[in-house]
Amino acid sequence: MALFNIIVFPGILFLVIAGLWFEFVDRRMYARMQHRQGPPWFQPLADFIKLLAKETIIPEDANRFLFTAMPVMALTATISAFFYIPLWSPRALFSFPGDAVVVMYLLTIPTLTFFLAGWYSTSLYSMIGAVRSLTQLFAYEIPLFMAVLAPAMLANTWSLAGIAAYYTAHPLMALLNVPAFCVAMVTLLGKLEKVPFDIPEAETEIVAGAFTEYSGRHLALFRLAVDIEVVVAGSLIVAMFLPFGLALPWYLGIIVYLLKITLVVALIAILRTIMARLRIEQMVNFCWKILAPVALAQLLLNLVVKGFLKP
Amino acid sequence: MTAEETVVKALVEKFPCFAEKIRTQRERRLWADVPADQFEAVAHHLFEQMGFTMLCSITGLDEGATFGLLYHFGQPSGMMIGLKVSIPREKPEWKTFIGLFPGSELYEREIADLYGVRFEGLPAGLRYPLPDDWPDNEFPLRKDWKAKPAVAAAAPAAEVKS
Amino acid sequence: MSKITIPIGPQHPALKEPASFKITLNGEEIYSMDMRLGYNHRGIEKACEERSFIQGLYLIERICGICSHSHSTAYIQALEELAGLQVPKRGLYIRTLIAELERIHSHLLWLGVAAHEVGFDTLLMYTWRDRELVMDHLAEIGGNRVNYAVNTMGGVRRDLTPDEIAHILKDVDTLEERTKYYAQVATEETTLVARLSKIGYLSQTDAEFLGAVGPTARACGVDRDVRRDDPYAAYGDVQFKVCVDHHGDVYGRVLVRVGELMESYSIIRQLMKNMPDGPIAVKSPRRIAAGEVYSRYEAPRGEDCHYVKSNGTDKPERVKIRAPTLANWRAVRKMIEGNYLADAPIIIAAIDPCFSCTDRAIELVRPAGAETLTWGALRQHGIDWHRKQGLDFAELNKKLNTQLGRVK
Repeated sequence: MALFNIIVFPGILFLVIAGLWFEFVDRRMYARMQHRQGPPWFQPLADFIKLLAKETIIPEDANRFLFTAMPVMALTATISAFFYIPLWSPRALFSFPGDAVVVMYLLTIPTLTFFLAGWYSTSLYSMIGAVRSLTQLFAYEIPLFMAVLAPAMLANTWSLAGIAAYYTAHPLMALLNVPAFCVAMVTLLGKLEKVPFDIPEAETEIVAGAFTEYSGRHLALFRLAVDIEVVVAGSLIVAMFLPFGLALPWYLGIIVYLLKITLVVALIAILRTIMARLRIEQMVNFCWKILAPVALAQLLLNLVVKGFLKP
Repeated sequence: MTAEETVVKALVEKFPCFAEKIRTQRERRLWADVPADQFEAVAHHLFEQMGFTMLCSITGLDEGATFGLLYHFGQPSGMMIGLKVSIPREKPEWKTFIGLFPGSELYEREIADLYGVRFEGLPAGLRYPLPDDWPDNEFPLRKDWKAKPAVAAAAPAAEVKS
Repeated sequence: MSKITIPIGPQHPALKEPASFKITLNGEEIYSMDMRLGYNHRGIEKACEERSFIQGLYLIERICGICSHSHSTAYIQALEELAGLQVPKRGLYIRTLIAELERIHSHLLWLGVAAHEVGFDTLLMYTWRDRELVMDHLAEIGGNRVNYAVNTMGGVRRDLTPDEIAHILKDVDTLEERTKYYAQVATEETTLVARLSKIGYLSQTDAEFLGAVGPTARACGVDRDVRRDDPYAAYGDVQFKVCVDHHGDVYGRVLVRVGELMESYSIIRQLMKNMPDGPIAVKSPRRIAAGEVYSRYEAPRGEDCHYVKSNGTDKPERVKIRAPTLANWRAVRKMIEGNYLADAPIIIAAIDPCFSCTDRAIELVRPAGAETLTWGALRQHGIDWHRKQGLDFAELNKKLNTQLGRVK
C-alpha cells in the first residue's frame, strides 16, 4: 500500500499529471487574460514528449556529471517534499515532528540545482542566470520562511500534520495568518521564478538563464521539476494558510484540495499578467524592505495572540 | 528678405570667396561648393554661429577624378544647406568631424568603408557596414566597382545543406 | 567582481533583427558597449544606381518592413521635386493618411516590443491585437500588409472609397479609446514605471550633439519634427502638436510615442474631413532632368533623409539614404553606460531600432560556390526551383490568360 501511495497516488504519477495539468491551467488563464486563445489541454504533455525525443546536447566545457544530475536532483527534491504535506485530510503520507522545516529545505534544493546547473554549464548567460537565482534566493527565502512558520507558531507544532489538525480544530485562527499568506504568495512567485520575479531567466537579457544550455531529456526533466514544484509549493501554501475542508470525506476532500490549488495557480497567473519584470536590485529591495517587515509583524502578532490564549 | 536670403547674405559677408557659389533651390534648401581649405572654417561658422546644429548626414559621391563629400547641415527651423567639398581620388583623405559633432561617427565610417576615404582623427573601432573579412581595396560605391566573382569567393561560405 | 564581456547578438531573443552588441559588465552594471552593425547590408544604394528611377522605388520600399511608406515617400518626393511634378491635392492627402496609419502601427508595435523587453507580455498582446486594425486598413487600401506600394511618380496608385473612409474613421475612434487605456497602464502600473523611469538617460545637449532624431530626441526636450519644421505632403494643411517631453529616459520616450499616437488620430480625422476631390496622380516622365535634391520625412522612428542626384538619364546617379536609426546609434552608446544589464534590451529598444533600415546598401552571394548570380539567372533559378516542387507557373499563366480572354 505504501509503495502504491508513493508511486501512483498521491505520489509520483499523480504529481506528474497534476504538474502538467496545472501548467496548462496557468498557461490557459494567462492566455485568456491576454486575449489569446491559449494552448489545448494536452500541450504541456506534448511539449514534454517532444523534448524527450529531441537531441540532448551537453556543452564540451560543462561538468558532465553535475550537468546531467541536476535535473534529477531537482525532480527528486520536489517529489520528496510532497509526501510530508497533508493534502485533503489532516494526515500526511509520512510525518514526524519538525517536518515543516524539512519541507522548506527540500523546496530550496531546486533553486540550488538551478544555480549549480547554470554555473557548471559554463556559458555566460547561464552563469549570470545562476548568480541571479542565488541572489534572488537570499532575498525571498527569509520572508518566505517567516511567513510559513507563522501559522506553525500559532499551532505550537513544527509538524505539518499537526498544523493541519490544529486549524481543523480552530478554523477561525487561520484568518489571523492572512498577511503571512500574502507574503507567501508573493515570495512564491520568486521561488517559482515567475513574472515579476523571473529575473534569473529573463528571456530578453540572458536568453533562458541557467537553462540556456539545456536541451532534450534534461530540459524536459527540469521543466517537469518546475511544474511539480508549482503543485508542491502550492500544496504547502494551501496546507499552511487554507486548512479548510480537511474533515470532509476523502472524495469531497480531493475536490476541495484541487480547487484550492487551482486558486493558488490562478493567483500566480493573475499576478504575472498584470506585472512587468523587476530588476534584481528592485526585487531584493522589495523583499527586504516590505515583505520581511510584514512577515516579522505577523510573527509578533502570532506570539501576542498565543500569549493571550495560554495564560 | 526671406530667411534663405538672410542666410546667404550672412555667409557671403563672412566668406566672400563663394559669393556666386551658393544656390537657393527652393524654400529651405541651399547648396554650396566649398574649397577644401575653407571647409573647416565654414562648417564651424555654420555650426557655431548660424544655428546649423544638425548634421543630418554625409553623402559620398563618386565624381570621376574626385570624390565629393556632401555635408547636410540643418537648422532646427528646417533650413538645410548642403556643403560639398571635393577631394582627389588618388589621395582620398579627409578630416573627421566628430570633434564638433560626435554623431557623425557612423556616417564617416560608412563612407570610409564604401568609398575608401580615410578620415584623419577618426578613432579605431569596429567597421561599418561591410563584413570584417571584406577584402581590402574593394569599395562598392565607387562607380568603377562591379560585383566580381572574386569578391563572392572571399565572402564566408556558410554551411548550407543542399 | 571582475569585468566580463557579454555578447548580445547577432542572434539573441531581445533582438528582432541581427546586430551585435558587446557589453562589458562590472557585476550587473554596464561599463561600456561596442556594437557591430551591418548584418543586413543589402547594397540597395548601389542597386538603385543600376536601375531606373521607378524600379528603384520598389527596392526602396523594401528597405524596411515597418516604415516602407516612409522610405518610398522620401524617395518619391525627391524624384517629384527633380522632375518638377505637381502632385494633386488628393494624392498628397492619401499619402499623408498612409503615413499616419503607418506611424500608428509602428508606435503600437513599439509599445508592445518595449513591454516585452521588460517582461510585461500582456501589454504586448494587447497592443499587437489592436495594431491589426490598422494593418487591415493598410491591406485594404494598398492590397498588402507590409509593402503597400501606394506611392508612384506624381501621386499615389490607390484611391479611397467613401466606405473605406467611414471604416477608417470608425476604427480610429476605437484605437483612440484603447490608446488612452494604454497610456494609463504605461503611466500607472507600478512595476512598469519602475522599470522604465530613470534608465537610459540622455541629456538635451547630448541628444543634440550625438545627432539623435525622432521620439528619442523629443523625449530629451529637443523640439524638432520635420512635419512641422519642413512641411511636406499635406502636413501644411493640418493642425497638430509636436510631442516633447523632458524626462530624457525611456519613460519619456513612452510618453512621447503615446502622445504622437493621439496626434496621429487627430491628423487622420482632419485629413478625412478635408479630403479634396480630384485626380490622385499626374503623368510622369521616364527621364528626369539633371539635378540634386535632399528630401526629408518624419518617419515613426525619426527623420528619414534621402538624397537623390540625377544625371538626366532614366537612372539615378546617386541615391543616399539616411535612416533614422543610423542617427540614433551613437546616442544609444551614451545612454546605456552605467545602467544595469537588465536594462540593456529596453534601452536599445527605446530608440525603436530598425537594423534593416540602418543597413542598406552588396550583391547576392551563393554560399557554397564562388558564383555570382545575375538577375536573369536568379529569376530562372526561381522558376526551376518551383518547377521541381511541382509548381509550373507557365501552365498557370496560360490558364489565366485563357480565362481572361487574352490568348497569345
